[in-house]
Amino acid sequence: MKPTSDGTTAAESTYVPELHVRNVTVRFGGLAALTDVSFTVKPGTIHALIGPNGAGKSTCFNVVSGLYPVDEGDVRFGPSDLMSTAPHQRVSLGIGRAFQNTALSGHVTVLDNVMLGRHALTRGGFLLAGLRSPRMRKEQQLHLDRVVEICEFLGLGDHLQRPVGQLSYGDQKRVDVARALATEPKLLMLDEPAAGMNDAETSVMAQLISDIRSSLGISVLLVEHDMSLVMSIADHVTVLDFGRGIADGTPSQIRTSPEVIRAYLGGGEGPAVLQEELS
Amino acid sequence: MALALPLYVSEVWLRVFEYAMVGAVAAIGLTLLSGHCGQLSLGTPFFMLVGGTAYAALAADAEAGSDLVGIGLPPVIAIVGAVVVSSLAGLAFAPVAGRVSGIYLAVATLSLVFLGLYLGQRFTEFTGGAATGRPAPPFTIFGFSLTTREPELTVLGVPFGAQERMWYLFLILVIGGIFLALGAVRSRPGRSWRAVRDNPASAAAMGVNVARARATAFAVSAGYAGLAGVMMVLWFGLLKADENEFQGSWSIAAAISLLAIVIIGGLGSVWGAVLGAAFVFGLPLALRLLVPSVPLLASITEGSGGFTPSVITAFAYGSLIVLVVIFEPGGLAAIGRRITARFGR
Ligand SMILES: Nc1ncnc2c1ncn2[C@@H]1O[C@H](COP(=O)(O)OP(=O)(O)O)[C@@H](O)[C@H]1O
Ligand SMILES: [Mg+2]
Repeated sequence: MKPTSDGTTAAESTYVPELHVRNVTVRFGGLAALTDVSFTVKPGTIHALIGPNGAGKSTCFNVVSGLYPVDEGDVRFGPSDLMSTAPHQRVSLGIGRAFQNTALSGHVTVLDNVMLGRHALTRGGFLLAGLRSPRMRKEQQLHLDRVVEICEFLGLGDHLQRPVGQLSYGDQKRVDVARALATEPKLLMLDEPAAGMNDAETSVMAQLISDIRSSLGISVLLVEHDMSLVMSIADHVTVLDFGRGIADGTPSQIRTSPEVIRAYLGGGEGPAVLQEELS
Repeated sequence: MALALPLYVSEVWLRVFEYAMVGAVAAIGLTLLSGHCGQLSLGTPFFMLVGGTAYAALAADAEAGSDLVGIGLPPVIAIVGAVVVSSLAGLAFAPVAGRVSGIYLAVATLSLVFLGLYLGQRFTEFTGGAATGRPAPPFTIFGFSLTTREPELTVLGVPFGAQERMWYLFLILVIGGIFLALGAVRSRPGRSWRAVRDNPASAAAMGVNVARARATAFAVSAGYAGLAGVMMVLWFGLLKADENEFQGSWSIAAAISLLAIVIIGGLGSVWGAVLGAAFVFGLPLALRLLVPSVPLLASITEGSGGFTPSVITAFAYGSLIVLVVIFEPGGLAAIGRRITARFGR
């Protein structure tokens, strides 16, 4: 994967901001999904967010992309205060994400789904599009080329014109990752990108994620249940349990943390892989 | 073929096609709104009324001794003005549309039909009221009328009267409407509408301003409706407020017909909307012309169990909707795609 070189991105600079999540609490009715959670994603790192089901990982993602309101605490991305940034404006700051349950348009082609990722990078509304403004068409073609490049990088080259709903679950996850990548993010958030994939596909995905980081120099915030994937590619790990941060450190520090062992072994819910990984 | 039609077809048949084109323009707007942006609307007739009224008021000359508002603008500018005014009306309604969706939005938009009924009868200086209405200002461009027979013109021995000329005017408007809609649907705005329809949260995460996308779709669809309203007024040669909410050009019946068009045509399909309009708007008029000459039809309507041509078509498109919903949810558009896939290339 090469960085864009054709001037299609708004923010051409290679500056990657730090993501600060500070003392964030999110409540749904009586239930606290997150309680006083803090962590920092350092520029250019792969930062994993792990924890048992229901720990609040996806909620963290939704806080950062602005889909859930925050009851306490705040989130900053470099100099920008995300609390005062509308959800749709966060893309332009460089926050791109994929969803745990892929949020794609099933009847729409792969290419068209991924092109949505270029929305904030392009211009033109109903009249310009309807009148087929030459400028808009030229811009569109430029972005289409980049989108094809991204799809091929993710191994979707053969499916470009197929409706997403016809693809396997693993391929749909890849389309969702491609779409997030198409926003040219500085911070790429991936929620269980390897869910539903077999071992071979999972290791391909792991390789893709580290390629993305090393070639684009961006940060990756990763939620993943497959512990071998997490432990092999993450630089830093934050562990959540029942909405609280219980550990934060390098993979080797996490492996030996008593809280983590208790959370995973005691809860009985944790993936068996981690138990193997921990032993 | 369409271009030469007035040379072969009689005036009464041209009027049938013209009426279908009115429905097509309104339905294209609706299929963008409901099919692509996922907002169900029954309010289209209201925006048609707004457009038709705006055209009449903008294009008519002020006359001494008349209460009717007339600004006296050139008709071309009046049409553009009417489209702008109805789009703005759509935009004004957008905040409501942003808050409710699905069946609730359908009910909320239906209330617009009642608003239109009230306003139409209340502001007779604009609409002419429900009793007499007001004459449609003729559509003239550079002194050449496209809706009356002034000045006289004969092409290949066929006199070009009002209907022949209106045919071309309507054809240009429909083709323009199709052209704009297809361009929008196939690029950035259409993409953002479909994303909002399928998953507003993920659309926002991809940088789409969801409220704005919805509002734009509403404004665009209202603009199409407004243009269709202008065409309706030109077609009747008259702008008239409805007498009640159930019948008339701006009524609940019209709202349901338009929804029927987009469902029969295939929700979201621009060409489907055109075909659907031919069925729902064109068929009743066509049957009325055919009935006297086709013995079977004549015998059905003769005995008069209430089987007038419009009742027959009401049944026809009612059952067509049921068939489409059961057997081909993609509508006429999907059937067309299958046929071209089999016989095409
Ligand atoms: N939109 C929501 N409404 C109500 N409760 C929610 C919502 N989203 C998440 N939760 C609750 O918050 C907790 C954390 O969920 P989530 O962040 O999805 O966990 P994870 O991704 O770690 O499995 C769960 O108890 C879940 O039921
Ligand atoms: Mg989750």
